[in-house]
Amino acid sequence: MSLADPEVVGFCFRMMKLDFSGLESKAPHFDASNELVGGDGALSAAPSSFQLPITADFDGFQKNAIQMVKPAKGTTTLAFIFKEGVMVAADSRASMGGYISSQSVKKIIEINPYMLGTMAGGAADCQFWHRNLGIKCRLHELANKRRISVTGASKLLANILYSYRGMGLSVGTMIAGWDETGPGLYYVDSEGGRLKGQRFSVGSGSPYAYGVLDSGYRYDMTIEEAAELARRSIYHATFRDAASGGVASVYYVGPNGWKKLSGDDVGELHYHYYPAISSTTEQEMVEAPAA
Amino acid sequence: MENSGGFSFDLCKRNGWLVEKGIVKPPSFTKTGTTIVGLVFQDGVILGADTRATAGSIVCDKNCEKIHYMAPNIYCCGAGTAADTEAVTDMVSSQLQLHRYHTGRESRVITALTLLKKHLFGYQGYVSAALVLGGVDCTGPHLHTIYPHGSTDTLPFATMGSGSLAAMSVFESKYKEGLTRDEGIKIVTEAICAGIFNDLGSGSNVDVCVLTKGHKEYLRNNLMPNPRTYVSAKGYSFSKKTEVLMTKVTPLKERVEVIEAGDAMEE
Amino acid sequence: MSIFEYNGSALVAMVGKNCFAIASDRRLGVQLQTIATDFQRIHKIHDRLFLGLSGLGTDTQTLYQRLVFRHKLYQLREERDMKPETFASLVSAILYEKRFGPYFCQPVIAGLSDEDKPFICTMDSIGAKELAKDFVVAGTAGESLYGACEAMFKPDMEPEELFETISQALLSSVDRDCLSGWGGHVYVV
Repeated sequence: MSLADPEVVGFCFRMMKLDFSGLESKAPHFDASNELVGGDGALSAAPSSFQLPITADFDGFQKNAIQMVKPAKGTTTLAFIFKEGVMVAADSRASMGGYISSQSVKKIIEINPYMLGTMAGGAADCQFWHRNLGIKCRLHELANKRRISVTGASKLLANILYSYRGMGLSVGTMIAGWDETGPGLYYVDSEGGRLKGQRFSVGSGSPYAYGVLDSGYRYDMTIEEAAELARRSIYHATFRDAASGGVASVYYVGPNGWKKLSGDDVGELHYHYYPAISSTTEQEMVEAPAA
Repeated sequence: MENSGGFSFDLCKRNGWLVEKGIVKPPSFTKTGTTIVGLVFQDGVILGADTRATAGSIVCDKNCEKIHYMAPNIYCCGAGTAADTEAVTDMVSSQLQLHRYHTGRESRVITALTLLKKHLFGYQGYVSAALVLGGVDCTGPHLHTIYPHGSTDTLPFATMGSGSLAAMSVFESKYKEGLTRDEGIKIVTEAICAGIFNDLGSGSNVDVCVLTKGHKEYLRNNLMPNPRTYVSAKGYSFSKKTEVLMTKVTPLKERVEVIEAGDAMEE
Repeated sequence: MSIFEYNGSALVAMVGKNCFAIASDRRLGVQLQTIATDFQRIHKIHDRLFLGLSGLGTDTQTLYQRLVFRHKLYQLREERDMKPETFASLVSAILYEKRFGPYFCQPVIAGLSDEDKPFICTMDSIGAKELAKDFVVAGTAGESLYGACEAMFKPDMEPEELFETISQALLSSVDRDCLSGWGGHVYVV
């Protein structure tokens, strides 16, 4: 909704709430008042609409507010489809400017046993909306007696993010999973974009990760080869990108759901890929005493 | 390039461009968010200062010296940008030394004052040094304050720096004419302590300098009201040794002492 | 982003018993991008005097060249090495000359004087000297280094213990700084 539209602005001032009713499907499993969910929406999948700040310059306020709570930005995440399923990997660093606020962030979010989401951009935004997506997916499962497709799940997320477009959400995510049609991989971002693909990398370290990933990718890799490629891509991204680092964790999603394959400290990976040439103590030549 | 004297402005254009391009913020310098004071007592002048140096919100020196030497009978407290107070007092003290060599007489406080204000006025406040200048010369004890723009005051008691208001409250309530040395030191210490405890830019210890006719007494760390209390008695032990990848040992060259002897050029 | 954070750096110097140690990280970056992991920030002026330069890479190199030039002229004229105190004053004067257009560079100077008395000192970018009896820090990891050193430092350490302390302080600090890291150089004199 555009706030440049005078009518809409007027509406905002009176209500100071965003109306999401238009986005909610009237189908029973989405309806908050459905008996399935328990009447007064305590368990509702739909987020209760947010209060908006009472201000004349809403856009300006949002911009300033975002600056104040600017979330962890630097990240490297990647995911790719191959013969055996989907491989998902990410680093684990959270930074605020130059300061490393955490080296142990879980950037791969487990939506359900068959679906993973990755986290890049605002940590809070990603976590909240992935959890919200998890609820929606579970409700879909209960209502239809079958798991939601990756296509469907990613579209649910994309629709929500699109409804908040331009309001300051910062999300760059990949939804990876296994459904009735096989492996699925979608890229979804807070600008409203949603792309289906074979290979994605998101975050400040993604250019570096793409370099390794694209050069090493083959569709007919084994799981071990794919895991190694994913790990190596993350490692090289953490090497060049100061905002990525910590632990390179690798997840695999196959027909039986996801499984965490590894989590390696990139400092140790560095010595794995570039073994340190340890040398004995060097003694510089001492000048011969004058005769 | 070298030794032309004075400031060099050759990086200004580049630095301005960097700021303009928006990749950078202009840099910040070490400041002495400070309490400095001075007063005239019956035999001369007492100067006082705290010892904290800050860079933004970081305390970068817990025991710095803010009472600068100008001449044997003149000292000067500095507040503002640390490099400026240091440089301006050093420059003027060397000019005073040269002047003493030239005239063979003791420097006068008024000479130091004029040299300082001339420099500061010339730079229109861009050299940010706020000073309390005190000394005793053949015309008696003198106490002056000098502002960064070059204006000066002549006062019986003075305070400067971010803690000046706290310190002035002590002076205003306790200062009287004809104080003894011990009374004077007590009031100065109290005023600095008011700055240390009530102004976040000031802290650590109290330095005092007592100047009387033909005599000076520099009481470095006259009072240390903030000793470090949180040192672990056990010390610090490391669970894992540092991984050393390469060690290189370079023996130091023997120091050779050259003794001059006649007939060095025999051959 | 401050210009001091453009390339990233961590520098620390510590005093021990008749010895000193100076250490730096090895990373050179352009903002968040790592360019090299074998960058030299610590330079030997002479056997007993080391100079560490944090801040903007280009300025540190220029400044280093100017200082070496001045030190060589001094050696030629005086037929001896500079004392650490003298060298610190030289650095301070060269930096203050550019008071209104400074080098974006914070130096750390560490040396042994004639009686093997250690001397360490740091400055801001316009040459305000800060002499310390225990340790000095500089660079983007400076704040973390202050914390680490305050906790780990003890007076009168022997060279081996000094090495361990300064290394641990450096490593634990760069672990909290994006812009520095990828190993370190430690010099114990």
